[in-house]
Amino acid sequence: MTKDILFYALSALAIWSGWRVFRVDSMIRATFALMVSFIAVGGIALLMSADYIGVATVFMMAVEMMVMGLFMVMFMMNPAGLNPMQMVHQYRFSIGAGIAAFVGLTVAILTTPLPDNPLPPGGDTLRDLGFELLGNSMLIFETAGVTLLATMVGAVVLSSASGRFGSAGQGSVPPGLTAGGPPAGRTAEDGKGHGGHAGHGMSMQKKPAMQAHDDHGKGH
Amino acid sequence: MTLLTVLGMLVFLCTSVWLAVALDTACRGWISGQGADRADGPLRTAALWLTQQRLTTEAPDRMNALLSIAGYMALALTGLALVPLGPDTALIALPTSVVLWGACEALVVVVVFLHGWSPNAPLAMIGAYRYVAIGLPIMLLSMFVLIAAALPAQSLDLRDIVTSQADVWNLIRQPLGLPLFLLLGLSLTLRGPFDYADSADLAGGTSVEASGPDRLGWQIARLAMLTEFSAMAATVFLGGYLGPVLPGPLWIALKTLLVMTLVIGLSHLAARMPVSRMMSLIWMILLPLSFADLIWAGLVAL
Repeated sequence: MTKDILFYALSALAIWSGWRVFRVDSMIRATFALMVSFIAVGGIALLMSADYIGVATVFMMAVEMMVMGLFMVMFMMNPAGLNPMQMVHQYRFSIGAGIAAFVGLTVAILTTPLPDNPLPPGGDTLRDLGFELLGNSMLIFETAGVTLLATMVGAVVLSSASGRFGSAGQGSVPPGLTAGGPPAGRTAEDGKGHGGHAGHGMSMQKKPAMQAHDDHGKGH
Repeated sequence: MTLLTVLGMLVFLCTSVWLAVALDTACRGWISGQGADRADGPLRTAALWLTQQRLTTEAPDRMNALLSIAGYMALALTGLALVPLGPDTALIALPTSVVLWGACEALVVVVVFLHGWSPNAPLAMIGAYRYVAIGLPIMLLSMFVLIAAALPAQSLDLRDIVTSQADVWNLIRQPLGLPLFLLLGLSLTLRGPFDYADSADLAGGTSVEASGPDRLGWQIARLAMLTEFSAMAATVFLGGYLGPVLPGPLWIALKTLLVMTLVIGLSHLAARMPVSRMMSLIWMILLPLSFADLIWAGLVAL
């Protein structure tokens, strides 16, 4: 009984927050509304004794949505993601796609023979899931996992300002054209008309970390 | 019985929050050389915040501001409810409790971000983004440390992790574990070297615009999170409720306070680095150290 009530409450929350994703006016709110929706689905999985999958959904979605929100703000050139914006575009196409997806999923649910045998009490679902997923392909899974992790670390190293051109504390200076030579590219000139630009360039070279802060400040 | 446990834990939570405030005040007085504050200083501050007018910024996200404070508190309480108090006693008894704790930890990054995002103000916003940049990799690191701690127990259940430490604590079996885990604690509670969200260089960061009851709520939630983290560290690395003579719940309480003192000491004594240098430290030194911890744990378990 309690489980039924919880199931309906969580389903309602999942649907409501899913609907909110398209009604709110900011990317951050939309992102976290989607997160709430997924967390509610994770709660439903917990109710169905899928302990690991339920909790892992919450865990994965929290990290994933945080990263997604950050990247959306970065790519949308919307200072700090605070400006209200329209979240819905291409009405005719999206309405069509929405109806098609709904009909497709409904047909799939209604025509699939769903299992209705309850779990034996005291069954170790975690162990079963582990063997089901990793039984014969442990080596492949682990290799892929380590490879992906190495790729991730490599991407971070390559994309960070401190990765290629020296330590972050000294700022980003391009390498010299000859070994040990002076840094390549334009250097700041003294005076002569371009004073403002040169000064700006210098200060940015010295304090790369401050640059982002200035940008945020200007956004307001 | 359950009700009694809940009440006992709430009393302990209030006590340890009070102790944390006292320790923080004492540390601040000792380091600044200005002597100890008045004993009722923190209470006065709390009363002031409680009665203060609530100031708002232009076009704030009121709902998310409240949700972030309530969410931070709720995550701390959920984490505390996962801590086993005896072989079968844990308020939330799940076979995957370590993973659930990891989920709480991941959601902390989200609520701290929301707290900085909702006032619609630049300094709070910078604090929020800065915190996410540091909070995510430090969380990655803690996952490896937690997986290493779960290895000898061959289970994701915190109760099994405690039982597996009957002979020797994880602190000794995995010497790298607790030091790395403490760094996560500093990050989760926005303290000292990992305080990139609420630090003084941003005039208070994510809580710069918080005033009145909101500010009080946020600070209390931070201290509750500190208690919760300490209890978790004591469970995973110091054998939890295991110990001679005294009853189990008392042991876990004592160990929690010990870890809490350590974290508070670290937060006052360790220096904070620029974000970019901290990023390099995390990705180039701390993350490989956590891999070493995992490999070490695997070899010992073999």
